[in-house]
Amino acid sequence: MPTFHLDDTPIEFEPGENILPAALRAGIEIPHYCYHPGLQVTAQCRQCLVEVTDMGNGHGIPKLQTSCSTPIADGMKVSATSEKAVWGQTVVNEFLLVNHPLDCPICDQAGECDLQNFAFKYGSGQSEMDYEKRVYGWREVGSFIVLERNRCIQCSRCERFSRDIVGSHDFGSFLRSHELTFDTFEDAQITHKFQGNLSDICPVGCIMNRDWRFKKRAWMLNKTRTVCPTCSTGCNVTIEHHDNRVFRIKPRENPEVNRWWMCDEGRLNYTYLNNRRDRILEPLARVKGELRSARWEAIYQAIGHRLQEIGAQGGQVLGLVDTHATNEELYLMRQLLREGFGSEALHFPYRLGAQQEQPPRPLADPFIFTLITTDKSPNTAGALKAGLIGDSDDKRLKAALKAPPKVAFVMGTPFVDDDGVRQAVAKAELIVHIGTFRSAWMELADVVLPGYTYAEKWGTFVNKADRVQRIQPAIKPPEDAEDPLRILASLLELLGNEQSHAAAREVFDAMGQQAGPFQGLSWDAVGELGTPLIGNGAPQASA
Amino acid sequence: MAEEKLLVLKNIRDPGYAGDLAAYRKTGGYTALKKVLQAMKPEEVVEAVKASGLRGRGGAGFSCGMKWGFMPPPGDKPHYLVCNADESEPGTFKDHLLMVGDPHMFVEGMIIGCFAMHSRHSYIYIRGESMYAIRRVQAAIDELYRNHLLGKNILGSGYDLDLTVHPGAGAYICGEETAMLDSLEGKRGLPRFKPPFPAQSGFDACPTTVNNVETLANVPFIINEGTEAFAALGTPNNTGTQAVCISGHLERPGVYEVEMGHNLESLIYEYAGGIRGGKLLKAVVPGGASADVLRADEIDIPYDFDSLTNAGTMRGSAAVMVFDEDTDMVEVAERTIRFFNHESCGQCTPCREGTFWIKNMIRQFLDDAGDEALMQRVDRAAGNIIGTTICAFGDAVGGPMQAFVRKFPEEFRKHFAS
Repeated sequence: MPTFHLDDTPIEFEPGENILPAALRAGIEIPHYCYHPGLQVTAQCRQCLVEVTDMGNGHGIPKLQTSCSTPIADGMKVSATSEKAVWGQTVVNEFLLVNHPLDCPICDQAGECDLQNFAFKYGSGQSEMDYEKRVYGWREVGSFIVLERNRCIQCSRCERFSRDIVGSHDFGSFLRSHELTFDTFEDAQITHKFQGNLSDICPVGCIMNRDWRFKKRAWMLNKTRTVCPTCSTGCNVTIEHHDNRVFRIKPRENPEVNRWWMCDEGRLNYTYLNNRRDRILEPLARVKGELRSARWEAIYQAIGHRLQEIGAQGGQVLGLVDTHATNEELYLMRQLLREGFGSEALHFPYRLGAQQEQPPRPLADPFIFTLITTDKSPNTAGALKAGLIGDSDDKRLKAALKAPPKVAFVMGTPFVDDDGVRQAVAKAELIVHIGTFRSAWMELADVVLPGYTYAEKWGTFVNKADRVQRIQPAIKPPEDAEDPLRILASLLELLGNEQSHAAAREVFDAMGQQAGPFQGLSWDAVGELGTPLIGNGAPQASA
Repeated sequence: MAEEKLLVLKNIRDPGYAGDLAAYRKTGGYTALKKVLQAMKPEEVVEAVKASGLRGRGGAGFSCGMKWGFMPPPGDKPHYLVCNADESEPGTFKDHLLMVGDPHMFVEGMIIGCFAMHSRHSYIYIRGESMYAIRRVQAAIDELYRNHLLGKNILGSGYDLDLTVHPGAGAYICGEETAMLDSLEGKRGLPRFKPPFPAQSGFDACPTTVNNVETLANVPFIINEGTEAFAALGTPNNTGTQAVCISGHLERPGVYEVEMGHNLESLIYEYAGGIRGGKLLKAVVPGGASADVLRADEIDIPYDFDSLTNAGTMRGSAAVMVFDEDTDMVEVAERTIRFFNHESCGQCTPCREGTFWIKNMIRQFLDDAGDEALMQRVDRAAGNIIGTTICAFGDAVGGPMQAFVRKFPEEFRKHFAS
């Protein structure tokens, strides 16, 4: 590969690549605002000025060049730290602050603001501009975002996103010179489902996430890398939380899955994680028709007793799961039914996942519209891969329910809206429910075992494109709740099946040792960006 | 009055000249086009223009023949020649005169240029405010279509060409060639960063050359009279004549055509009749508002591209603005920066914010609240716009503002806080 030098660092580059992306790839920061890897290059903020001391032909370029827009030539020598380059970066920084209100103390972007960071690094710390600045009011421009135009540094990322990525053309530039402003036309509201990305790409606090405004200082947040469970795309996200409360969810770059984007639905799908009122906080057992709190040991003892009784009589044992369960949970549930009772009757509601949103006009790259699917669960493909019985219309389940089951294990809220299924399952002598929030299943269950949400546990999901991805815990679960993997392992132990794997990593690695969809994979190999499932004999997902 | 060297203004100076096709033909009009279409290859035309030494009259003074030579050989994409008739530089009014007085001359040059660059459809981008020029040029083009000098099979040569007049919407920046191309495409006019250059990817992402009106008006002469005849005018690296727009505190402001290299002082005193009311000269802005100001003692220089560059300023669009002894140069500076602040497209940070900031600083002087530090701050802020923006607008603001404070510090000191 051809090479160029950025200061003293030799960097390999793809022919046609520009200086800034190559530098960022090599881990070298050149300050920039208007450049975004997902958007058209405009070279307008001028912050990324560098000095080209040698174009590769022995001649330099007298004028400073914007590194975002300058193609690299073989043997090129570039300096981002020469006196001249630093002069360019410093004066651009000074100009950017001419009309910026410097209201960092009340700005939500503070702490994660490019302008603040670069001003701190390259700025003089003093302002010689002591005139009235241009002032605009703030207003809401969409269901999700607020516009605080005083802070705008006119990088035009928002305009390019609206034009080229979502094709909505609802955010554009108005006026010129220092009055140049980015806004919607008159009082138009943005209605597309990707508004949150505008606040992500805004390098300052001009476009703010309405849901997040005034709630927390950015630097107080802890960040956990995980995967969005809102639909079968499995956008890579970061859960941002503090003091065991989730404050927001932001997309995490993954070129293979969601690039830099996510939808607003996924972004707002966190409030339930903070909900303790409807959460099942402790194990419950039905005594004389009423659910009463119980201790774990007592519950396991009682279940063990009942299972032995029923097991001696024979009869059907049924498992119902939904596709919010991780692959590891599905695996242990399968073991529980198969090895404990010789049952293969493990059913899940199968929802076909289709693209939900369409671009408003033809786009060169309508990628972002593929992100939202109609399957609002993260692991349908995983359940299909594992060979569970998928019911798109409940027919197979209803056939199985003609003979009432003796025991039903219900994990999550599968088929919860289906009265017929609920009434048939209700005839079982023992219903064990593993759940996180109150539901109709809880009202039917004999035993309720409180589990974890996706933000509290380890595990893997398989997305619509057969890519296996890891989730990891961000916040602490309720004190008396238990990891569903641990619960399933305990149930297996009750049946005399010594289960040594109770951690997701161990279960996944065990799955990787066996024939099946995950054969040859390991927890570490999945990594933080996931990996595609390939070359296995398991049934292909049709979703 | 001193005598002009008439080339592009030769018809206009004839009081009876009507400017229509018949009148233009009587003066030998469209013989150059005929010669080109019947006897020359496109490359030969490019070579002739190159050999004549003709430099762009719009401002940058780049070799016209070289620019034409940058166009790729004919390929899949159409080629365009866009005539820049936006003429937005303050103090410039020569192209307006050419378009209104003798529209056929530059259109003939343009058709020759289109032939040389394999263009089949080209545009004339005229400033929207110049309604009269738009009508005159449109009428000239209509005449050409009626007389088979435009459209299919021009003069039986098999060459087809369409010309379209496009009115701009009046932004200064749309005189910058790439912003003009954006505007022509129907977008907001914003200068594009280079590379790619217009010859690679210009209008509609196709190979495009942009030429000024006066530049094109010289082309028929070069074809008819030969490159040597043109190169014999002016000085070796600054050939031909130039239409100079002189305005300000003068007895006879107007457009005067002289050879390249004509003395600037002579232009002001012999052609424009000297300072109005016999007053003394204070300052000259020699090449439009973007050119650095000259003091009265700096004007005894040849007026051409290289000489003015050597004098630390530029010929630009040949707009000479003259200020007499009563002028407050701080007010001139304020008027200049107010214009640039208003016209900055806002794309690049240094220009967008710098023009605003400098405007405020200059106004502080006008409020008699200046000081030495503020003068230095104007100088520094202006210097920081130079070389840090996409287009030449940044240099065009920074240079003049530095020149005002550096060359007329005593004017600024009059506005210090007492």
